[in-house]
Amino acid sequence: MSALASGPVPDAFEARTNATFEALMWALSRPGTVQDLPSPDVAGIAEALLDRECRVFCDNPLLAGEIASFGAALVPMALADYCFISLEDARGLAQLVHVPVGSDLYPDAGATLIAAARFGTGAKLRLTGPGIETSAEFSVDGLAAELWSLRAAHCRYPAGFDLFLICGAQVIGLPRSTQIEVL
Amino acid sequence: MTLATLTKPWAAFSYGFLDASAKREMRRKMLKAIAVPGCQMPYASREVPMARGWGTGGLQVTLTLLKPSSSVKVIDQGADDSVNAASIRSFLSKVSGAAETWDTQAATLIQSRHRIPEERLRADQVLVLQVPNPEPLRPVEPNMSVARQMHADADYGRLWLILYEQMVRSGRIMEGAAYPALVNRRHVMTPSPIPRWDVPKLHMAEHLTFLSAGREKRLYAVPPFTQVEPLVFSDVPYQVEDHGALRCHRSGVTGYYMNEIPQDNGGSVFELSDSNLGIKAIRRAEGAQVEIGPTWYENGKMPQ
Repeated sequence: MSALASGPVPDAFEARTNATFEALMWALSRPGTVQDLPSPDVAGIAEALLDRECRVFCDNPLLAGEIASFGAALVPMALADYCFISLEDARGLAQLVHVPVGSDLYPDAGATLIAAARFGTGAKLRLTGPGIETSAEFSVDGLAAELWSLRAAHCRYPAGFDLFLICGAQVIGLPRSTQIEVL
Repeated sequence: MTLATLTKPWAAFSYGFLDASAKREMRRKMLKAIAVPGCQMPYASREVPMARGWGTGGLQVTLTLLKPSSSVKVIDQGADDSVNAASIRSFLSKVSGAAETWDTQAATLIQSRHRIPEERLRADQVLVLQVPNPEPLRPVEPNMSVARQMHADADYGRLWLILYEQMVRSGRIMEGAAYPALVNRRHVMTPSPIPRWDVPKLHMAEHLTFLSAGREKRLYAVPPFTQVEPLVFSDVPYQVEDHGALRCHRSGVTGYYMNEIPQDNGGSVFELSDSNLGIKAIRRAEGAQVEIGPTWYENGKMPQ
């Protein structure tokens, strides 16, 4: 029976990548809200977004191999469109200095960062900006304390980088348009 | 990486028509568009079985978002039953198995040409607007490289000049559709050729809006709760069309955007532009149990 006759049904790959994208889309649309990814595997994000057209920096060799299998080129941080990076300590932050932020002329050249974090404990952040009616607050741990001042210094809107924080199968999105205040 | 890992078994067609690599590109650009509200992001704009200029941009965004549990509504100038809207809607459901609906309340995805529904959109709904010309600066700057520099510099003075000239010539701002609006206090966008009536619906809205131009290969977004301010002078307030007091001759409803229908005697009557709202109102008047959601405009006025 042809696919048309049986009706269109997404295969597992399509269903997974669609759900992953939807979680990322709502995470970025409503900064500070926790969205559920279909799987805790970070490679799932790469699977939904990345292919041979992308340049990726990844500081985790195991994950880097998986990302490379989707066809993306592994490059140094300064050339990357997508960065899978640990921002837990000074080592990660030293890399972050090189992150492409695009320019006023080409804001789309700013990179997207994907970093692990822990939600619900640690530093309390207050967010304002698009996607947030008044202000939103959330707590996040497992990130270097200087990250937020570095982000503020780096992101001169509309240039900047967009950040996805991953905690298990949950994601919080922090687009460059969001102002972050550490409480 | 081998060829085998980059290929997959043969299938008659990709789910949702677009192939996986086209969808990944759309997803990347849609995320970028959300991150910089109102800023036009270039994208590849693949071939779809429809001529460019008939809603291919919106179609690609909708196809990327579709899943079997989606419920999709397609509007053409407010109507669900025009050839263009009906064809797009049946195509979308044919390639995705998603439900078709005319009801704004029931839809999860609303693709629209030139109108935003009168019923308020909810936080879980996505509005996809088809855009013929995404560049608000085109009337004042035909060179798109220069226009890009003007966007980079937030150099929008010449757009105010157009409005000023209209004021001088006609005594009021004549911009009818696609009224330029400042998004997130940074980028001016054209909200697609929606009437002035609809632009305030985008300001601090609960829903997510994508605006996509297939022919021009640019897409941009208005995330929820984003400021969308039409360009105005401080002493000349923004004015929507004077439709607040008009009455629909078919449903008897007043206070919404109307289509003017010329009559043989030289006069005209009006009918609701949002055709599904009209249908609901008529059904309700006939005694059917029909739920009409809260609307943006109340008694012909947008609450502040």
